[in-house]
Amino acid sequence: MKYGKVYAEDVTVGQALPDLVKGPIQQIQLTRYAGASGDFNPIHQDDEFARAAGMGGVFGHGMLTMGFVAQCVTDWAGAGSVRKLGVRFAGLVRLKDTVTCKGRVVSKSSSSDGMHLVELELSAENQKGDKVITGKATVALPSRER
Amino acid sequence: MPIQINHGVKGKEYPPYTVTIERGRIKDFARAIGDQNPFYLDDKVGAASEFGDVIAPPTFPITFKDETADSNAFLKELGTDISRILHGEQEFELHRPLRPGETLLCRPRIADVYEKSGKSGAMAFVVRETAVTDKAGELVATLRGVTVVRL
Repeated sequence: MKYGKVYAEDVTVGQALPDLVKGPIQQIQLTRYAGASGDFNPIHQDDEFARAAGMGGVFGHGMLTMGFVAQCVTDWAGAGSVRKLGVRFAGLVRLKDTVTCKGRVVSKSSSSDGMHLVELELSAENQKGDKVITGKATVALPSRER
Repeated sequence: MPIQINHGVKGKEYPPYTVTIERGRIKDFARAIGDQNPFYLDDKVGAASEFGDVIAPPTFPITFKDETADSNAFLKELGTDISRILHGEQEFELHRPLRPGETLLCRPRIADVYEKSGKSGAMAFVVRETAVTDKAGELVATLRGVTVVRL
């Protein structure tokens, strides 16, 4: 099922996406994400800098956590299916945290190009159950009949 | 020591710039997230797919930066620095998948600047929107990011 294709007919409103569990977050992943994304803000790399900035230490890039949430969506709906993805960063992800990404289908409609648009409600939380992201996505799914 | 934000940047458009999507960058980006999706990483899977090549993950457009611009200069113009900013929100509208080798035009503007007091004190919110078009002039993506400045 992973990397598989979901057809619009197989989707029901209220359905949950499989959870995606990421982490524990290590410093090397934040360093790697800095290089890959081009975001070298020292607040994600340098504990002393992050403490001096009043953040209580290093924390993960919000965009890395958003990448996890995007993966949760595409693992289920397929690569290339995402038409819209929007999140609010609700909490910080710290080193050693485990992040669980969750999704749920909230609506389904037809689109002019024969695709079906499915709206998802998304969230990510740490091991304590604190929300680190809340968000929404729209994915375009094909019909079996095509 | 509270700081003053320059609200004059609201509505300001920044010089358009081009980016070229590199195959290796797509793969580094997916791997940094820990996303092993073969539609991002495997050239053979990409070539055989409906897309004709590997594609970029949904959040990849966050890498579309103006290499000639100094990001510290913008923060200075805003009246802050990197130690005070946090990423508040981010949204991507994606009109089609993006492939390696594409050269895209990015047009950033500051859509809004406003202040609010929250449980962690006074904050400013800077909303930056970037429209991304392809060689044919078609809109392929819109990015909307909210930067929070701790005042």
